[in-house]
Amino acid sequence: MKEENEQNLPWICDKCKKNLVLSKVKVCYLGGNFEVDLMKCPDCGAVYIGEDLALGKMLEVEKGLEDK
Amino acid sequence: MEKRLFEECEKCMQDEPSATTARCPIHIDTASFSGEIENDNFKKAYKVLQKRMPLAGIIGMICDHPCEGACVRGALDSPVSVSELERAAVAYGYEPYKNPLAVPKKNGRVAVVGGGISGLSAAFELDRKGFEVTIYEKSDKLGGQIWSYEGKLIEREKIEEELKTIKKLGIAAICGHKVSTDELKTIAEKYDAVYLGTGEWPESLFIDPDTFQVFSSSVFAGGKLFNKNDSVIYAVSTGKRAAVSIERYIKKISMLASREREGSFESPMKYSLEDVKMTPRVEKNGKIYSREEASKEAARCLKCHCDECIKACSHLRKFGMTPKSYGRQIQINENVIMGTRYANKMIDSCTECGLCSEECPSGLGMKEVIRQTRESMVEKGKMPVSAHDFALKDMEFSNSSRFFTLKSPPPIPEDKLEMRKRELITYPRITFSKYAQSIFNGDPPGEEKADYLFFPGCQLSASCSEYVEKTFGYLVANIKEGVGLLLGCCGAPADWAGRQDLMEETRNKIRDAWLEKGKPTFILACSSCCAVFEKYLPEISYISLWEIFESYGLPESAAKGNGHVLTVHDACATRHNQKIHESLRNIATSLGYELSELKYSKERTKCCGYGGLVYYANREQADDFVADRISESGEDYLVYCAMCKDLFIGGGKKTYHILDLIFGENPEKSAEKKMPKLSERHTNRALLKKRMLKEFWNEDQENALTEMKNLIIPDEVWNIMEERYILLEDVDKVIKHSLDTGERFYNPEDRTYLANFRFGDITFWVRYSEENGAIKVHSVYSHRMEVQRG
Repeated sequence: MKEENEQNLPWICDKCKKNLVLSKVKVCYLGGNFEVDLMKCPDCGAVYIGEDLALGKMLEVEKGLEDK
Repeated sequence: MEKRLFEECEKCMQDEPSATTARCPIHIDTASFSGEIENDNFKKAYKVLQKRMPLAGIIGMICDHPCEGACVRGALDSPVSVSELERAAVAYGYEPYKNPLAVPKKNGRVAVVGGGISGLSAAFELDRKGFEVTIYEKSDKLGGQIWSYEGKLIEREKIEEELKTIKKLGIAAICGHKVSTDELKTIAEKYDAVYLGTGEWPESLFIDPDTFQVFSSSVFAGGKLFNKNDSVIYAVSTGKRAAVSIERYIKKISMLASREREGSFESPMKYSLEDVKMTPRVEKNGKIYSREEASKEAARCLKCHCDECIKACSHLRKFGMTPKSYGRQIQINENVIMGTRYANKMIDSCTECGLCSEECPSGLGMKEVIRQTRESMVEKGKMPVSAHDFALKDMEFSNSSRFFTLKSPPPIPEDKLEMRKRELITYPRITFSKYAQSIFNGDPPGEEKADYLFFPGCQLSASCSEYVEKTFGYLVANIKEGVGLLLGCCGAPADWAGRQDLMEETRNKIRDAWLEKGKPTFILACSSCCAVFEKYLPEISYISLWEIFESYGLPESAAKGNGHVLTVHDACATRHNQKIHESLRNIATSLGYELSELKYSKERTKCCGYGGLVYYANREQADDFVADRISESGEDYLVYCAMCKDLFIGGGKKTYHILDLIFGENPEKSAEKKMPKLSERHTNRALLKKRMLKEFWNEDQENALTEMKNLIIPDEVWNIMEERYILLEDVDKVIKHSLDTGERFYNPEDRTYLANFRFGDITFWVRYSEENGAIKVHSVYSHRMEVQRG
């Protein structure tokens, strides 16, 4: 699950006014834990999940885990 | 999960042979056979014969076809002419027997005494089983009784050609050699076993009817000696069956094991002729059918196999399942410990409507199997969360304070107080009602008991909330014993989702309400509620709203049908409730509507596609159910379940709810009104509660709606929200959270904000912009995966 085009991401953290940086982030669902590279605010740690990722790869992994 | 249910599934007759195949003593696959001829594949048809019929070039021409007596068409017009088809298959598909790679003859030596039909059949079979066979024939040529058909059913050359097969196979034939009783003993000593097929024999023989063994000797006998008749095909059958015994005898294995279905038997499969059109038998113009005549006659064959459930059910059809294969798939799925459970989606795509058991000649059905399987999946934590999550949350909403309401009968207005008081003491039925007694006993206002409690259910309240108010007004005006109100959900979604914990919770909630109001009779307006009450709340008596209308009469304002034809679609949850079926029809006809019936109606009705929460778990499957059902009649539909109406209209079918006819201001328009959006379904319920409290009890309810008023949601975003099961209240919460905390992303290029908020077990994302004090939503999405922050 990699965020595409992360370099060109127009989003900034509105609270901290910081550009997002690619970092290792833990995600989990139904007992499955993964560490993936996602964009997040270097100060407050808010993680950005884009629509394509949420409805694409992420959904696929969710469905897969649900049938395990 | 009860093992018994899987055993039941195994009784499915999916694999059972047709009646003719079962009756045929050598079990020719008549369906495949006819199928090949229908498609002009005579060579393939001949191969089907050859597979089970020795010397098919001859036997196929002279077979005495007992199968025809079993053909199910016999009960309709006339049996398929299997014998003429056999003759056509030989005439147009015959190929001389090719000597295959010779089977090594090392299993033993067998003598066949008598070279007639049964002897040749036994010899043929034994040769194929790897025995060295020698035939002793008293006349100068093989064939016996076959020659009696020469020039009648078969020509000499054909007999001679096919009999060459025996020589080709390498079977020894000693002709002109009559075997005496004494010689039989000598032969029996020389060979490992003997088959006796002489038609007549000087001694009387005891032939075992299952093994064809003579006493317990190495001699086996069949044909006319056993059958006591001239039947060709039974002679073939005994020869073949004796060959099986001889092989087992020589190999010293059980001669009886697994032979129950040899010879003629009756197929347990019942084939329905319901949809079969009468078609006369094709008459032959020549001595045998022409190819065309044969194909036409073969087309009359129904190729019977049991698929009654598949014919009726979109779900079984979609997944290509019958109870037998389905039961096996579920067992595999249930037993997966590590790895993927591939059948989850299938199991969640059954509507649990029970039609399969109605259609199955053995009454087998998947409803209970699926129900228990879902419960077992939930117990093991293996039920995919996303399948039923939305529906269960919808139920939670309906049973939250935003909708759930329990009220005693509305207070009597001041101006009617005197009249009502008179009524209360004038009519014994009213005087002794729980409500009147409660008033006489001085129960404080709002705590009176009631004889009736109107429970409209959650979906009617969401789809057509205005009818709920009108109905309640009607009930209060007509039923003087006092009618209270209970708004909420019966728990059907929990039952469908296999959530017995939530079902129990809901059951208790309803039961408490019932006890609090003095055990009133429930007036139900939803078929799913009726089914849930019968199953989980049998102590509560209920009556359908439709029966109430029938007893108390319809309001004057009800629409007049003027002969408008409507096709009735019964609700699957009450397929066995005849009172409901009748009331519904009586109401519509009394209004002047003309009704037409579907083939699948009343106890055989189909589900609209909402049942079993299939609408949420597999939308594509739900769409199939809708498309299938609405294609059954060109007329507009009349239904009495809010979801049936919403789904059919969604599929493009003009559909009237019975309440459209009774209370609709413009029934025509209502019959085309699309289902309210998912968010509106919540709003409608919440507002219904607010309106009813005000109208009937003069109570004000604050905060019925909590969403921000300055949200702008364009149509395309609404559509996305519907597709993704995202509600207005979800969007509202995300935006409010971002405004409260300042936590959001900002895109300076298009000046939009992106906020997220996780509640329940879903993270919702909303992209929005702030425009002149309003908030415009650009997109919404969600995911279940939890992202750890920091």
